[in-house]
Amino acid sequence: MSLIKTFHKWLSLLVGLQLLVWLGTGLYFNVMDHDKASGNQNRQRVESPAVDLQRLIEPKTVIREYDTTVSMSLITLLSHPYYLLIHEKGLYRHFKNSYSLVDAVTGKPFVITKTIATVIALESYKGTATVAATVKLTGPSDDFPKEQNSLWQVNIDDDLNTSVYVDAGSGRLIGHSNDDKRFVDFIFMLHFMDYASEGSFNNVQVIVFAIFTLFFAFTGLIWTVELGFNGQYRPALLLGRKLAKTKKVKVFDKHSKSIGQLAMASHENLLDSLLNHDIALPSTCGGGGTCGRCKIVVDSAVKMTSADRSQLTEQELQAGYRLACQHNSDELEQLTLVDVTEAETHELELISSEFISPYIKQLRFKSVSGERVEFRAGAFMRFFIPAAKGSSIPAYLPVELLHHWQDVIHMEYEHLACSRNYSLANGDGQTDELVFTVKIQTSPNERVKPGIGSSYICNLAPGETIEAVGPFEEFYARPSSSKPMVLVGAGSGMAPLKALIEEQLIKNTSSRELYFYFGARSQLDLIYSEHFQQLSDSYPNFHYLPVLSRPGQDWNGATGYVQDHLGEELATELEKALDKTEFYLCGPAAMMESTIELLKSHSIADNAIAFDKFE
Amino acid sequence: MNLLKISRKYHRWLMLFLGVQFVIWSVSGAYMVIFDIDYIHGDTLVVNHQAKVNPDKITYSLFELIKRYPSAEQIEVGLFINQEVYRFRQDGTQYLLDASTGHLLSPIGEELAVTAARHYYSGTGDIADVELITDNPPFELSSRALPAWRVNFDDFGSPSIYLSARSGKLVTKRHEFWRTFDTMFSLHVMDYEDEDASNWLLFWFILFSLLAAILGLVLTYFRFFKANAQDNDDGNESVSENKETSHVSD
Repeated sequence: MSLIKTFHKWLSLLVGLQLLVWLGTGLYFNVMDHDKASGNQNRQRVESPAVDLQRLIEPKTVIREYDTTVSMSLITLLSHPYYLLIHEKGLYRHFKNSYSLVDAVTGKPFVITKTIATVIALESYKGTATVAATVKLTGPSDDFPKEQNSLWQVNIDDDLNTSVYVDAGSGRLIGHSNDDKRFVDFIFMLHFMDYASEGSFNNVQVIVFAIFTLFFAFTGLIWTVELGFNGQYRPALLLGRKLAKTKKVKVFDKHSKSIGQLAMASHENLLDSLLNHDIALPSTCGGGGTCGRCKIVVDSAVKMTSADRSQLTEQELQAGYRLACQHNSDELEQLTLVDVTEAETHELELISSEFISPYIKQLRFKSVSGERVEFRAGAFMRFFIPAAKGSSIPAYLPVELLHHWQDVIHMEYEHLACSRNYSLANGDGQTDELVFTVKIQTSPNERVKPGIGSSYICNLAPGETIEAVGPFEEFYARPSSSKPMVLVGAGSGMAPLKALIEEQLIKNTSSRELYFYFGARSQLDLIYSEHFQQLSDSYPNFHYLPVLSRPGQDWNGATGYVQDHLGEELATELEKALDKTEFYLCGPAAMMESTIELLKSHSIADNAIAFDKFE
Repeated sequence: MNLLKISRKYHRWLMLFLGVQFVIWSVSGAYMVIFDIDYIHGDTLVVNHQAKVNPDKITYSLFELIKRYPSAEQIEVGLFINQEVYRFRQDGTQYLLDASTGHLLSPIGEELAVTAARHYYSGTGDIADVELITDNPPFELSSRALPAWRVNFDDFGSPSIYLSARSGKLVTKRHEFWRTFDTMFSLHVMDYEDEDASNWLLFWFILFSLLAAILGLVLTYFRFFKANAQDNDDGNESVSENKETSHVSD
């Protein structure tokens, strides 16, 4: 199937413009004025008087004189009878023919001279006309490209630049042409790709393009059918939110007890629909179909998406398990909840929003209701980003950061509503504030929108509010443990680790050993470094170990990648206590993967490693 | 929604309704351009005889002819099979006269029609059937050619030779390739009766197809000239916003 799609895309590049030409010229043929297209606006019928048969000489005499004759017919030219003898007969009149003309009364040969041709032409012309020129054409003419005989072209001096064509051998009026017809011929030339003006649609280029187009149309059709099978032609997708249907879906809890009929709109996925009824399913990917957490049970006939297949086992799929984020209310009548997070929706008010590095902001929120939102360190909340207009560059940039943003392309864009998860960065339990550190995802180039969630939330002004559901506690320190903790973070993936550290040191006043390996690019990206320095000064059991991959000058600390540095220390200082150490990881996927690999190579058990995925 | 998404959405929806016609256009168009038009016209089905008139055989004079047919028009001397003949019209009727004897040969009977058809036909196949058509001509025969004999040959492409029952002349020739061409043309212009390109069905189809094609070109543009466009072309629309579903610090 992907081959079909690839073909379709490449063929579109190849034949796309020609397809527009075909459609455009096709439309022209559909709407054009056929009278104009004929080229006959100034043509009139030539009325010939009846021939006085008595005066004609015997055909036998003429044929004998001219010998090789396939046929001889009596014609009238300029009101006078002539015998037209055909010596070599083409299959059609426009094919090569060889003629003689003989005066049918006198028996004298007759030749279509320039003057005769002009008079024959004018006889067929409506009204009076001035002849601009009469030219003999021996090759094919532009107006009658298929004509293989030599022709007289009589050009009339009129508004339409009429040309009249007379067969130089037989005196037959071939036809009229004018600028209107020439324009139509030009459109035909484009439609037939007849760039050599052969008056033919059997040329090589059109055949090649036709074959490519054939494949193009078939691959497109196959794709369309596939989209249909994948449910991409649901009316709600076309009509959008305004006309989306809302329907009641019966919802049961995990003990099959009915919760009631809940209204769900077809334009949003079930994960969001349930959230509207304050039923929060676990989800760490926010509805992308990549975390596999938002399981529900539905009728097993509900189609499986590729995300369902990759996140659920075959047994689960057969039993009707699906991911709520992959389906909507159109597809089902009822659903059963498997796992519900006891999370509430909170309206949060922004207290402050400040840059702590060129691209990372610390955002402090408090609950509008005034009630304290309790959470375990390491938790995250899911924010509802409403549909809005966004900007790639924050509205209020401190002067000292301007130079970091000058290469970021300025874009204004609109985005749809979505939800985004952000980890809480505070864990000391000292305030009722909810603190988040959010990196504004800038776009790598003008083709890509910046992160719409991060841009939206970082552009909120203090005093503004936003809805968030949670907290969701999926990453946390193992309770009542006094084993040493090694925390490994990188980039902006430090928020939940910071919360864990504060929880251990300040809230729990734990004396367990804490090693915090934090990787960043340069000093500028070492967020909260003063804070951690102070903590390590105040708490001898806390070890702050920043590692810079691209340090500037005056850096005395470790350099390289954080996982490499950790590797060295695992082999030396940490070696003795390895089997009873807990590891907490949070950072970019590549760093996490290589760290987990490293830990496994040191025979560290899976259950001693906790990680928080960060994409 | 941005241009890319709007284009993808409406390109898909329009093509749901237009896609089959695009296939029809491309199949019929390819058929018409690939087969040489002279072959389609059956030029290879007939022999273009160049046999010459022998003036000594014209023993029946024009003088005698016009005594019998005083208002003859469009008089022509030629051959019918291998016989010198006069052909002319009088009062709207075509006549065929033996130029040696003055015998009236028209209208032509079946036996003569079959002989003539064999004379015109270039192939070697047997005659499948013979039919005199006097009214309601098939689509492939003009009503002006009536009355006409249709002689079908049992050969590749089911060729038919049509000849005038009055003049004995070859009127036209047809084979399956031309009949298919006619069908393809009517499918191409979406007029299934008169093959007339000026019809409203075609108009609306082209109009929407132009829109769909332009949207498709926008997609092509994004695909090839704006690489790394923000989401995957194959993406399911309802989940295409996943780029930054990170959970910590997006």
